Amino acid sequence: MADKVRKVTLVALGLLWLTPVYLMLANAAKTDAQYGVVPVWQAVGLSGLMENMANAWERGRISEGIASTALYSVASPALAVLVGAAAGFAIVALRLRRGFLWFAVIFSSTVFPIQMVLMPLFIGYVEAGIYDTRMGMILVYMVISVPFSAFVMRNFFSGIARHVFEAAVMDGASTWRIFWRIYLPMSGSALAAIFVLQATFIWNDLLLGLTLTQSTETRPVMTALSALQSTYGGSTMPTVLAGGLIVSIPTVALFLLMQRSFTRGLSLGQF
Amino acid sequence: MTLTQSPPATREAPPATARRRPRHTYRWASRGFVLPSLLVVAVMLYVPFLWTGYLSFTEFNGLGDPEWVGLEKYREMFADAGFLSSLGNTLLWVAGTLVLPVGLGLLIAVLAHGIKGSFWYRLPFLLPYAISGVAVGVIWTFILQTGGALSQALDFLNLPGADLRWLLDAPLNTFVMIVAATWQGAGVNALLFGIGLQSIPKEPLEAARLDGASGWTLFRHITWPMLTPLTTVVVGLSIVGSLKTFDIIWGMTKGGPGRSSETLALTMYKETFVSNDYGLGAAVAIFLTVVTVAASLIYLRRQLSDAKEL
Repeated sequence: MADKVRKVTLVALGLLWLTPVYLMLANAAKTDAQYGVVPVWQAVGLSGLMENMANAWERGRISEGIASTALYSVASPALAVLVGAAAGFAIVALRLRRGFLWFAVIFSSTVFPIQMVLMPLFIGYVEAGIYDTRMGMILVYMVISVPFSAFVMRNFFSGIARHVFEAAVMDGASTWRIFWRIYLPMSGSALAAIFVLQATFIWNDLLLGLTLTQSTETRPVMTALSALQSTYGGSTMPTVLAGGLIVSIPTVALFLLMQRSFTRGLSLGQF
Repeated sequence: MTLTQSPPATREAPPATARRRPRHTYRWASRGFVLPSLLVVAVMLYVPFLWTGYLSFTEFNGLGDPEWVGLEKYREMFADAGFLSSLGNTLLWVAGTLVLPVGLGLLIAVLAHGIKGSFWYRLPFLLPYAISGVAVGVIWTFILQTGGALSQALDFLNLPGADLRWLLDAPLNTFVMIVAATWQGAGVNALLFGIGLQSIPKEPLEAARLDGASGWTLFRHITWPMLTPLTTVVVGLSIVGSLKTFDIIWGMTKGGPGRSSETLALTMYKETFVSNDYGLGAAVAIFLTVVTVAASLIYLRRQLSDAKEL
């Protein structure tokens, strides 16, 4: 009985939670003629969806940012996972001297708000000639992802039995080989968890994109959506919502496909 | 144990006879593996931290050389009414985040705990976490615009509030943006509390049940105290997260109208990149950082000591 009450409450709350998604879909699919005439709560099929998405894609400049954003969201977490795993390997398997101190140094950088580095990064990027370049964006997103990656991988490697390492040493494997051929392949689930979570984070980033890029080819897609939103005198509300829909599809799809990795990454990251 | 000195090239395997190798066997290899992380974190995060610290004592507009002005920028900051209202809004965000996303997250976790398929019941709450702050802003701007979806629903249900200007009047605009942030973030807290609830041993609960405790009493006296370590982390992360809130506000009001819904994160960005007052922006960044670091000590100590035990 108590279970039933809990289930009903959860379903009711869950439906409430999905309401904004419904409103977004219903109105992103309205043609300009329908919007404003048909009440916002009422769905009228999908007649306007394609056109609105095409509008956001072309005139809203979502298309231009999407390739770079995809590149950043794949390359940066992939690099960060390796760099962070190497740090975890040094601390746990190779027993780096004062390993915990160095770990704390790496991890503690996540505490500072990103605002703290924005202007030096901006100035430094201009000086170094990597302002508004894809290279620069891959680099900064990688750096932001490294502490989390080191945190998770250090914890994960701690769970690998010591004799695995010792047996490999007996067999004459080099440290690099032990890392690359034994430890990394054993950590697939943790690596995937970090990758999925960081890819989502990078895809969704606004602040670094606003600060370190300006041209449409390098600007991440969230800056384009933000611009579309603030100038919607030019584009109609259904177009803005369709833009929001386009940029949300990849991360929501990734989340649904990889919920296990996603939730695992979230929980691993906190403990 | 004849190996007293570590070999210069540690890529070679140590002699198989050394069963308990001294700690320094992999001195150079271990340094090599940790170096990339330390290097990027030092160059791209710690050096900029210090640089921002220096800039906060200067007058600098982004061009030419920063000019040392001592504490002038901090004085200017605390004298600025915009900064003070921004500080007030930031505190509202912190308080609101503790009540809504944390409170609701706990509620959802407790409701879903132990029922079959609890993952699926929690899924709708976790879904918005995959959506960006900007997109959340787009959706909620649409819902909350004057005369928009929310106003129409209230009107239809004959509830009060249909004529409120949700995003135009302060502090109402900050409250409704906290609601939007709750929509995005409550699911993560529910997930974390769910993990915490699972890790509570069954015995004390059973014993308390046998003694006749149930419902609220059981939660208040058994579950809640045992959840404390996790609550510390969730509360700490939420405070820190709310202090840094940027995307949702940028996506909804850009801190406006005027500066009425600005938070410290936006003030820092606007002073620096809109007003080109780098010194003032840096001072705000330092202030925000001091507050954030103080708040994160709540959970960081626990996280690090947990990690140390591994």
